Amino acid sequence: MGKKLYIILTGVLLLFGARAAAQSQSDMRLNEILVNNTDDYEDDYGHKHGWIELFNTSRGTVDIGGCYISNDRNNLKKYRIPKGDVLTKIKPRQHIVLWADNMPLRGTFHVNFTLTETDVLYFTSSNGRDIVDSLHFPTGEGPFPVMDYIADSDGVRIETKGSIAAYPVDNVSYGRLMDGETTGGDSGWAFLVKTTPSSNNVILDSEAAAQRFKEFDPVGIIMAITAMSVVFVALMLLYLIFKQIGRAAVRSGRKKAARAGIIPHEDEIPGEVYAAIATAVHLYIQQGEVHDVENTILTFRNIKRNYTPWNSKIYGLRKQ
Amino acid sequence: MNAFFSFLWDNLQQFFGYTAFASFTYGHAIMILIGLTFLYLAITKDWEPMLLVPIGFGIIIGNIPFLEGLSIGVYEEGSVMNILYQGVRLGFYPPLIFLGIGAMTDFSALISNPKLMLIGAAAQFGIFGAYGLALLFGFPANEAGAIGIIGGADGPTAIFLSGRLAPDLLGAIAVSAYSYMALVPVIQPPVMRLFTTRKERLIRMRPPRAVSQREKIIFPIVGFLLTAFLVPSGIPLLGMLFFGNLLKECGVTRRLAETARGPLIDIVTILIGLTVGASTQADKFLQFRSIQIFILGALSFVIATTAGVLFVKFFNLFLKEGNKINPLIGNAGVSAVPDSARVSNNVGLEYDKSNYLLMHAMGPNVAGVIGSAVAAGILLGFLS
Repeated sequence: MGKKLYIILTGVLLLFGARAAAQSQSDMRLNEILVNNTDDYEDDYGHKHGWIELFNTSRGTVDIGGCYISNDRNNLKKYRIPKGDVLTKIKPRQHIVLWADNMPLRGTFHVNFTLTETDVLYFTSSNGRDIVDSLHFPTGEGPFPVMDYIADSDGVRIETKGSIAAYPVDNVSYGRLMDGETTGGDSGWAFLVKTTPSSNNVILDSEAAAQRFKEFDPVGIIMAITAMSVVFVALMLLYLIFKQIGRAAVRSGRKKAARAGIIPHEDEIPGEVYAAIATAVHLYIQQGEVHDVENTILTFRNIKRNYTPWNSKIYGLRKQ
Repeated sequence: MNAFFSFLWDNLQQFFGYTAFASFTYGHAIMILIGLTFLYLAITKDWEPMLLVPIGFGIIIGNIPFLEGLSIGVYEEGSVMNILYQGVRLGFYPPLIFLGIGAMTDFSALISNPKLMLIGAAAQFGIFGAYGLALLFGFPANEAGAIGIIGGADGPTAIFLSGRLAPDLLGAIAVSAYSYMALVPVIQPPVMRLFTTRKERLIRMRPPRAVSQREKIIFPIVGFLLTAFLVPSGIPLLGMLFFGNLLKECGVTRRLAETARGPLIDIVTILIGLTVGASTQADKFLQFRSIQIFILGALSFVIATTAGVLFVKFFNLFLKEGNKINPLIGNAGVSAVPDSARVSNNVGLEYDKSNYLLMHAMGPNVAGVIGSAVAAGILLGFLS
């Protein structure tokens, strides 16, 4: 039995471990790219190159060490992100920038191609087969609209802010309107009004929800109605389900009793009996001083009887 | 010789600088007195001793002044108290307590008479009444939500939600919630008497039917699926509550259930009580808003009790004679297990010495636990 348990447990752990690793890398997304960089983000050497931003959409740390990035569909393993670098562990909802400078000797995050070579990009998991995310970015003559994600007191919306005649153009990035999301633009992608390497493409104020709630609902009436409705619906559904389950249980109990030849009564034990038991227990606890200090635990102990020749035998028999 | 005494005096002065006396303030004295009061109430009056003893002593620990920078205080990163406090800050103690509560709760009363669940829902109005009042007091919506949850009369839920919505108010909210839970026998009876007639208090309810083990096993599974699908943000609390109950009822995990309702919940209760107490340092706790929180906490309990009692009266309008519910069990919907159910029973016995309401009151009482966890999930979903 014990052996069986360990086998099952090991199997479950292995399955979970394998799935967890795969799930983690699959949570990475290509998030923003800049093809021509003349006056934008600089690398550690003080040089400006095109860059690729990746975003961890999950709520857990993802290690991208061993994953591949490529600009060639026929060679998905073009650049392997080295393993063992602590910086390849991307924290939840965080970004990492890879330099598309064709200078891989400069470090982990400098890939062996540039973004001007092709108009595609593939991020592949560490098995070299599963494409986690891919991008086909617009190039050539436009015009291409430039978009912005607005979040203010009027709500959240996407607005077009001008256009560019052609792409690539210097210092204009192509990215997701909302980090990691596919809403708006071209499957979530658009030319952005400003570049945001290593940071959110749009920053939504986390207090905005609470603030807006107060603005529209200054005394909490909407909250009370909404929330109480949900609480009532939850418990009402539970009530209705268990009403039916209860009926089914009573019916099945009666059938069983009928099969066994027992005539069921609605109130087999009258309330007075419960009351008498409760009173007896209450008095026993109060007068006998046998209750210990815990409030919610009722302790019954063996009654210790003093030895006499008259009761010893009986006590001994009852113990067995 | 003179130099020796001068050296000795300097050292003594330096030592004095390290002692608590050097930076002792009136604020610390007040907080230590509050801690001692908690200990007094717990030990001599038997008011929620399992909670008030750790919290009371924690308040004393948290209000001994010390020289900062030595990794001693609960808010100093890396200190022992700070490490223990992470369970409160990150919110993993409350679900563990819910696991234990699930493993020790018998939902039979509720399963046998499922309409009592609705009382547990009605009493949650205390949360949203207090939320509205907190908004009127000028608190931002997230803080108002955290304060409102005091009305759920559920310590772990209050800690869980305030840790996420308003961490700065966590100490005041937790102490307020536990204090009023201890004061349930004082707060609730006058409200219950005010809103009920003598005739209503004498209503006798039908004894609950026996519940099969199959029903008891189905309850946590269906209960979790239903509530979690409606309010996924309540999963940490609801998941652990129903999982604990499944361990208890399934009949094949006796050892796990015993650990959950015994050693595990005891350990977590010690840690949560002590660290919540220690987090009430005078400079953070003795503020005007703490007083406001205490006022709102008291009001939330009153609103919740009123809502529970009035809902039963309203519900009775639709029930046939013989099936009516005694409105004295309406107060039990606020959770505060099992004290509020005990209050129902005691008040009922004052009017009819043979009308024991305890078993009936346990239904809305445990429904209140589910209701307050659902309400916490809703607040978290809307305001975080």
